Amino acid sequence: MAKDRNQGSDYTAPLKRLLLGLLVLCLIGLFLLWRIDSPRVERFRAQVIDRVVPSFDWAMAPVTGAVNILRDFQSYQRIYQQNQELRRELQQMKAWKEAALQLEQENARLLDLNNVQLDPRLTFVTGVVLADSGSPFRQSVLINVGGRDGIVDGWAAMDGLGLVGRISGVGDNTARVILLTDTSSRIPVTIQPSGQQALLIGDNTASPPIDFIEDADKVRPGDRVLTSGDGEVFPAGLLVGQVAEDPGGRVRVRLAADYERLEFLRVLRNYGHERVLDPGSLIQPSVPIVQGADPDPKPQLPAEAQTSEAIDG
Amino acid sequence: MGDNAALQLWAMRLLYLGLGLFIMFFSLLPMQTLPRGWAGPDLIVALTFAWILRRPEYVPPLLVAGVILLGDLMFHRPPGLWAALVLIAAEALRARHIGLRDLTFAVEWVSVATTLVIMTLAYRTILAVLLVDQAPLGLSFIQLVMTMICYPLVVLVSQSVFGVRKLAPGDIDALGGRT
Repeated sequence: MAKDRNQGSDYTAPLKRLLLGLLVLCLIGLFLLWRIDSPRVERFRAQVIDRVVPSFDWAMAPVTGAVNILRDFQSYQRIYQQNQELRRELQQMKAWKEAALQLEQENARLLDLNNVQLDPRLTFVTGVVLADSGSPFRQSVLINVGGRDGIVDGWAAMDGLGLVGRISGVGDNTARVILLTDTSSRIPVTIQPSGQQALLIGDNTASPPIDFIEDADKVRPGDRVLTSGDGEVFPAGLLVGQVAEDPGGRVRVRLAADYERLEFLRVLRNYGHERVLDPGSLIQPSVPIVQGADPDPKPQLPAEAQTSEAIDG
Repeated sequence: MGDNAALQLWAMRLLYLGLGLFIMFFSLLPMQTLPRGWAGPDLIVALTFAWILRRPEYVPPLLVAGVILLGDLMFHRPPGLWAALVLIAAEALRARHIGLRDLTFAVEWVSVATTLVIMTLAYRTILAVLLVDQAPLGLSFIQLVMTMICYPLVVLVSQSVFGVRKLAPGDIDALGGRT
């Protein structure tokens, strides 16, 4: 019997080795393909995730909920203390709210005096966080809105307060948000009030460093960090966080978004700016040069009107 | 009897797949969105190695490749590279499992640990050569050490809970013959 088996394995061993070699070659080929043409493979990845993660969803929500309840249980013990703290904070906030309202009114009056046109407000789609990246090496989350809801790669994701990350990888029902803390995240930012342009570079820590500052002396801890909109990466003026200095003297950003608990994320719709490509169209609107003969230029006008509407809305 | 053995074989293969998905599910839960200073063990790889050194027929190459590749896709790793490395390492261990069967656990642990070190080095080197963005070296190192430390635990659980033991003389193997 034992002899039989050995003969059998002698017969199939080369075949098995061949198949194994093919399998390894396929895997390495996939990796190289990803390195060469990463968008296509990333789209494939998004589709796989789109298929797998929502099928986990029914179990994910209760398990996450149960763990969070266990975690919160500790905080119930000092609930009275927290209540007192919250009341005190609320008092302070009321004072600030009053100040903010007055400033807003004054601002509106001044804008009205100057007849200033403001940027249209950005609209957003809100999604629930389904899953995190699952590995300590990557910082990203999956949200439950995707191509079906009109999400497009590259849009900004925020929590209620600050920027969280950037959409990268859209499935039909899910989308991946690469967080600002991920090692592959690079965001152009402006540091206010000095107006310095810089890059926010994720490095897998909770407060990512800022690099490529024009004049580092003008940046102080506590300055506000906003997106600059350079390179049309994001709309300008989204709050990112505050400047802080680490013990090594490196400038970092304390992020405004609450990364400890990312539950709901807003994805800002951003269809880009209207661009002025040639100086002529600044002075006069594009008018068909050959009247009547060429039917193409005429539909341009409605198309432009549409794009400007899309930006307004 | 042959039928029974084949049924068990496929049940154990399914169990491996199920455990892989289970581990993935728990790491995907959105508990921690803040970057951590430490990394957990790569349990799927530890499980694969532990099973392959005990019952290689429970973890055929295609299944290993499928599970790890799915992990690559889910965990946002470069797809294919880690799966290829794990597959090669698993086959190297599979080739040595008869020799390792008669030795002590310490020897097995050391050989698994060296395999893990070589895999991690190869992974990071290939990524560095191809200029792919990488996680900090410290994290990879922590994950490597954690996987090594967890390996005996994984072995213990596989043996006691799932009954994946080394073949002893007189046991019935996958093809229904006595060893």
